[in-house]
Amino acid sequence: MIDIQSFSFTYKNEAEPALRDVSISVPEGGFLGIIGPAGAGKTTLARAVCGIIPHHYPGDYYGRISVGGLDPVEASLTDLSRLVGLVFQDVDSQIISTMVEDEILYGLENFGIPHAEIPERIRLALAQAGIADLQDRTVASLSGGQRQKVAIASILALRPRVLVLDEPTGELDPVSSRQVFSLLKQLRKEHGVTVIVIEQKIMLLCEFAEQLAVLDHGAVLRQGPTREVLAHAEELLALGVNCPRVTTLSRLLSRRLGRELPVCVNLEEAEETARRLMT
Amino acid sequence: MKELFQYVPGQSLLHRLNPVTKLILTIMICAAAFITSSVFFLLGLLAVDLAIGLIAGVARKTLGILRGLMKIAVFLFVLQVLLSRQGTPVFWIITDRGLLTAATVVLRLVVVCMPLALVLAVTRVSDLSNALVQVLHVPYKYAFTLTTAIRFIPQFLEEMSDIMEAQTARGIAFDQARGLKKLGMMLPLCAPLLISSVRRTDQTAAAAEIRGFSLRTSASAFRRYPFHLEDALVLGFCVLLIAASILL
Repeated sequence: MIDIQSFSFTYKNEAEPALRDVSISVPEGGFLGIIGPAGAGKTTLARAVCGIIPHHYPGDYYGRISVGGLDPVEASLTDLSRLVGLVFQDVDSQIISTMVEDEILYGLENFGIPHAEIPERIRLALAQAGIADLQDRTVASLSGGQRQKVAIASILALRPRVLVLDEPTGELDPVSSRQVFSLLKQLRKEHGVTVIVIEQKIMLLCEFAEQLAVLDHGAVLRQGPTREVLAHAEELLALGVNCPRVTTLSRLLSRRLGRELPVCVNLEEAEETARRLMT
Repeated sequence: MKELFQYVPGQSLLHRLNPVTKLILTIMICAAAFITSSVFFLLGLLAVDLAIGLIAGVARKTLGILRGLMKIAVFLFVLQVLLSRQGTPVFWIITDRGLLTAATVVLRLVVVCMPLALVLAVTRVSDLSNALVQVLHVPYKYAFTLTTAIRFIPQFLEEMSDIMEAQTARGIAFDQARGLKKLGMMLPLCAPLLISSVRRTDQTAAAAEIRGFSLRTSASAFRRYPFHLEDALVLGFCVLLIAASILL
C-alpha cells in the first residue's frame, strides 16, 4: 500500500536534511509504528506520505514514494487526501471550525459525500472517537484531550484507506489512548485500513503495531516486525527511546540468568516467561 | 474577551434567522447610526441593540459588551468635550455643542460596535460563511478567511496567556504592573506570538487542503439557508430603520 524508496527530504532554507535515504514499505491493512527521539524526522515522514510534502512544504525531494499507486509528487493533494487521512500532532492547527459538528462536516462536504449519508457518518465518527456527547459544543470550550478526539473523528468520518496519525494520544489519558488504538485495530480488521502511527507511548504502540521503524537524525536506524526491533532494546535506549517495561524486564532477566529468553512485548507474554522460569 | 466572539447555542428568533438577514440587520443598524445625527434616534438604536441581545437570550453577554465599550466611550467623550470649541460655554471650556457632539459620537460608536458581536453570538461562523457563499455568492476563499479569523481569536488569546505564564514563571511580574507599564511588558511578547501564529496558520492551510478545501463549491454545504417569513419581517424592519434615520 505504501512504498517508500530511498527517500530524502530537506526543507527549504534548512541546511540539514530532515529525512535521509528512508526506505519503508507497509502492506495493505498493515500497522506501522514509528518511534524515535524528537527531531528524528517522524513528522516529516508523515507529511511526505500524505503529500503535504512537497505540495505544502517545498524543499529538496529525492527518492520515490508510492501510496496506493499514487505518487505524492505527481498526484494533487486533493486526490491524495481521498486516500490518506492525516491527524496532526498540533491538534489546534488542524481544527478549522468553531463547532465540533462543523469540524466533522467540513471534509464530508468538500469531498461531496451524498447529503443523505452525512448525518450517519457524523454520528459514527463521533461515536468511534468516543465523543458523541460533544457534537453541539464549541471547540473553544473543549479540553486538549477532547480536541484531539475531535481531530481524530474529523479524519475518521472521511473513511480514508490509509490513516496516518502523528502522536494521536499526546493529550489523552491512558484509557482514551487505549481506545484510540483499539479503534485502529478494529478499522484494520473490518475495513483493511492501513495504519501508520507516530507515538511516544511505546508500550501501547508495541502492543498494537505489527511493524516498527526507529528513526534517528532522519535515517531509519532499524525496522521490522515489532518483536525483532525490540530485541535491540539497548540500541533504542541509547537513542533515548524507552522500551516497554516488560521488554526491559525480560532483557535484564536474560542477562542476569545468562540464558536466551524470548522478547516480551506485553504483560501476558512476560507472565508466561516468568511462569516458565519458576517451574 | 475570550467569549466576545463565541457562539452561544440557542433556539431564539435571532438564532433561527438566515445568517444573511442577520448580517444585513447589522449593516443597516450601522448605516442608520451614521445617517442620523439625532441623539434620541441613536438612543433608540441602542435600545434596538439591547432588544436584540434580550430576544437572543444573551442578555448577560450584551451587558458585558456594553460595559467593555463604556471604558472607550468615556475616554472618547472626555476627549471630544475638551477639544470641541463650538457653541456657548456651559462650564469652564465645555460648550453645549461640544457636549452634544460628544454624546453623538460616543453613542454612534456603541451602537455600531454592538450588533456584530451580538450576531456572532447567535450565529455559527460556519453558517455565516456558508450562507455568504450560497446566498450572496461570495468566493469561498474569502468566506474561509472570515471563519478562520474568528476561529483563531480564542486560540491567540490562549497562546498569549500561555506565553505570559511562561514569562511569569521566569520572574516577570505581569500581575503587579498596570496600565501602560503592563502594556510595555507585553509588547515584546508580540514576536513569539506572531511567529507561532504564522506557523500555525500555515499548518491550518494544510489541514484545510487535505480535507478538500479546493473541491468546495457553493453547493457543498450540508445545510441550506432559505429565507422565511421572519427574515422578510426583519428586512422590512431594516427598511423602516433606514427611512426613519433619514427622516428624523
